[in-house]
Amino acid sequence: MENEKEQPGELTPEEQREVLEAAMQAGHILLENGAEIFRVEETMDRICCHYGIRSGNSFVLSNGIFTTSGNEREEIFAKVQHIPVSGTHLDRVAAVNQLSREIEKDFLSPGDVKHRLDQIRIMPGKPRTMQILASGVGSACFCYLFGGTLRDSLSAFGSGILLYVYVIFLSSPHLSKIVGNIGGGALVTFLCTVLYLLHFGENLNFMIIGSIMPLIPGVAFTNAIRDIADGDYISGSVRMLDALLVFFCIAMGVGMVFSLFHRLTGGVLL
Amino acid sequence: MSVFMEAAAAVVGTVAFSLLFGVPARFYPYCGLIGGAGWLVYGGLMNGMTAPSAALAATIVVIFLSRTFAVRERCPVTIFLISGIFPLVPGAGIYWTAYYIVTDDLALAVRTGFLACKVAVAIVLGIVFVFELPQKFFTFAAKKQEEVDDR
Repeated sequence: MENEKEQPGELTPEEQREVLEAAMQAGHILLENGAEIFRVEETMDRICCHYGIRSGNSFVLSNGIFTTSGNEREEIFAKVQHIPVSGTHLDRVAAVNQLSREIEKDFLSPGDVKHRLDQIRIMPGKPRTMQILASGVGSACFCYLFGGTLRDSLSAFGSGILLYVYVIFLSSPHLSKIVGNIGGGALVTFLCTVLYLLHFGENLNFMIIGSIMPLIPGVAFTNAIRDIADGDYISGSVRMLDALLVFFCIAMGVGMVFSLFHRLTGGVLL
Repeated sequence: MSVFMEAAAAVVGTVAFSLLFGVPARFYPYCGLIGGAGWLVYGGLMNGMTAPSAALAATIVVIFLSRTFAVRERCPVTIFLISGIFPLVPGAGIYWTAYYIVTDDLALAVRTGFLACKVAVAIVLGIVFVFELPQKFFTFAAKKQEEVDDR
């Protein structure tokens, strides 16, 4: 590997292709799992550079990667990959980051890198029961933080759990983002109102605020800001739009159920 | 006493959300610490300051700690940043805005909605400011040896 680093142009077209494929896959995993555009571009450039591809060029958007290489000495290679926005798995981002460091330090062959990337790609996420439980605990904590009592938190725990059951089994596999989030907001409001009417909690507002927290698009929002700050305006605006849309949909869901109860109870509830 | 209870809730809540985002388990203590610290600053300043200024101060603390720990652990800062910032994102503001719109109190709806926007802008400014600090500044946190280049 060291030789190749010192003498660019030593790579055979197949090797070059392999390196670029690996860089592309690394970028794919990073982008898909919630990394910033800046990190994706940098990681891809580093991998290309390390293996001696000098003409590598990549253009990364929030939902696609375009890579080309080729000059008088290197083969022409071009690839476009569409990457739909999906869930956040920061452990995969961390793993690719670690791999990129190892590539720079050790002498991994492009084949090894590919193998490692394949492993990272199928890295198991947290088990569903853990996620559901975490959603409940998070909801309870935030309910308490925003001013709820312990009993409110307990109700928020319950509705946070049911919310994530809905997210995992219905919303994310079957529903669009808009409908899924309106449904989530509505479900939480409905559950909390019922619990409130059954006197399980004292402050309806804090119960709802706590239990909608798992829906809040914190990742999209934070990444949008960082992308815009880095000058990646297109991706930043797309992610910001994504975050605002989700915010708006949650508010819609909450509002819809509220007005329904408002009608039914003649305004007593609110 | 209640301040500590709240900080504890912020710590546990932050860890719970980092699990949802798939943060590797070995980083949970850092995430919890960042979330708790952010909330302590925010809650402490809320007594004498407006929500946006308190959010700005808390964001600065959160990002600063996140970058420090990222350098220390040599991992992407996103891991700490996203879960640490979570308690500050104006989720409650969104809720109150929807609530006032439904209850036909437009004046209050506009006011809370605008406040939520101000808090969001404060968070944006906090993030942008602290990321302007050069990476070299954080090398104090690195575990001995080599320079670190993550941000």
